[in-house]
Amino acid sequence: MSVALPTVPVLHSEWIKIRSLRGTLWALIAVFAATVGIQTLTAAAIGDAEAGSMGADPLLAAFYGLTFGQIAALAFGASAFAAEFHHGALRNTLAAVPDRTRFYLSKISMIAVLSLLVGEVAGFVTFVAGQQFMGPYAIELGAEGTVRAIAGCGVYLMLMALLAAGLTAMLRNSAAALAILIPCILILPFVVGEAAGGLVDYMPDQAGQMVMRTHGQGDLGPWTGLGVMALWSAAALVGGWFAIRRRDV
Amino acid sequence: MNRIEIRELTKAYGSTRAVDHLTFDVLPGRVTGFLGPNGAGKSTTMRLLLGLDRPTSGTATIDGRCFADLREPLHHVGALLDAQAAHGGRTARDHLLGLAVSNRLPRRRVEEVLERTGIAAVGGRRVKTFSLGMRQRLGIAAALLGDPGVLLLDEPTNGLDPEGIIWIRELMRDLAAQGRTVLVSSHLMAETSLMADHLVVLGQGRLLADMSMKDFIDAHSTARVRVRTADPARLGAALGREGLELVSGADGCWTVDGASAEHIGGLAAREGIPVLQLVDERASLEQAYLGLTASHAQFTAAAP
Repeated sequence: MSVALPTVPVLHSEWIKIRSLRGTLWALIAVFAATVGIQTLTAAAIGDAEAGSMGADPLLAAFYGLTFGQIAALAFGASAFAAEFHHGALRNTLAAVPDRTRFYLSKISMIAVLSLLVGEVAGFVTFVAGQQFMGPYAIELGAEGTVRAIAGCGVYLMLMALLAAGLTAMLRNSAAALAILIPCILILPFVVGEAAGGLVDYMPDQAGQMVMRTHGQGDLGPWTGLGVMALWSAAALVGGWFAIRRRDV
Repeated sequence: MNRIEIRELTKAYGSTRAVDHLTFDVLPGRVTGFLGPNGAGKSTTMRLLLGLDRPTSGTATIDGRCFADLREPLHHVGALLDAQAAHGGRTARDHLLGLAVSNRLPRRRVEEVLERTGIAAVGGRRVKTFSLGMRQRLGIAAALLGDPGVLLLDEPTNGLDPEGIIWIRELMRDLAAQGRTVLVSSHLMAETSLMADHLVVLGQGRLLADMSMKDFIDAHSTARVRVRTADPARLGAALGREGLELVSGADGCWTVDGASAEHIGGLAAREGIPVLQLVDERASLEQAYLGLTASHAQFTAAAP
């Protein structure tokens, strides 16, 4: 049995489908604009006020804009997949690419590649632009952990987009997926806070941000934290794959 | 080539069977009308054929292969399932390009089908600005993209203006004349009778008829003759002796049910009754269809 891997024509088709939808394309642009923009504005406003003004961990603080950029990444992943559930558009797609696994892997790959590319560029520009305003507290590009944090920022944004895409495929609805993800990511860690002990560290966003901390936190190191986040995204993607393979459309 | 084979196809949703042990073939070179009231199982059958829904049992194949096993199906099968299915946010051209590219069809095919379906001028507009008729044309353009040998069209005349309906009728007949297999579903009898050579009729998910248009009409309607005569009283009496009845129709015409023009003509000649006009009245598809579904309804009502 051959595995239905993505093919160049199907990947190309998925690229056309993403770039031809204004909302999806803008969400991708917003990943960059929000992360870099918020970081730069915040750093310019308070960055050199005092040490730790942007957060206790100076390396993580260099990616403060990610708080907003990740929402755009969720919106990108969700809307890129949700277009298939719009008035049964999936029927058109499957009438052209009947192998559902091939279709699913192609779409997911295209979402991954685009969000990773934009994420990596956003990570680099965010760090460099933000540090311009940090005055005496600026971190050198070559300092400990910076390269890992910049690379990790792109992966983090990609994993956010994939988490949303997988959940959208499962629920067949981007609004439902975002209604679950955004509160979980923006609010839950603050509400539950330290009460849950170290468990909050295992939430997808908290775990993933370990890669941008100087030394990780709690049980999780930078890479193990990102690994935990990858498991969350992988779970959503596997769930989405089952849903796409099994259901009538 | 291009033969659609439906074998014992069944799709159950809970205890209801949308499609119930359906078996028929759709052959190339003719337009097959797929008839039945809304909810008869036409769309479900098409979705099963395209592998979009999973059958509860039975098979639906094209040239002996399941649709889902085709690598680049647009070259073999073009389908219009739902004119609303194109995402409103995309331009018509991008919608078609996304489909074409996935099956390695050249970009010029997009322009060709836009031209062929008469929407080339609005190819750069977003689909949400399209009327239902334009969306139907876009759906047909998508079905024609790969120049397929098999076309499955679900209610393609929905929302089309009279000019569009004539256009699609000609298109279907052209495609069939080129040796393609064309399956067109409709619940509109008048439309189907002008388009189809062959009929597959469904009712409540079951096959009610699978025969040529002519045989269907002959089998499911009673013969009727229209006659104009100078002496209706004598003709009526003569018919009465044979157990036939002369019924007064509009504008001085009379009709006789259950008889042929040949029979009435001979009778009138023997009796020396002057006949001014004598025609076999061909029943419409609609009458034949209603005749069939009425008898089917009785059958299902009588069943325990």
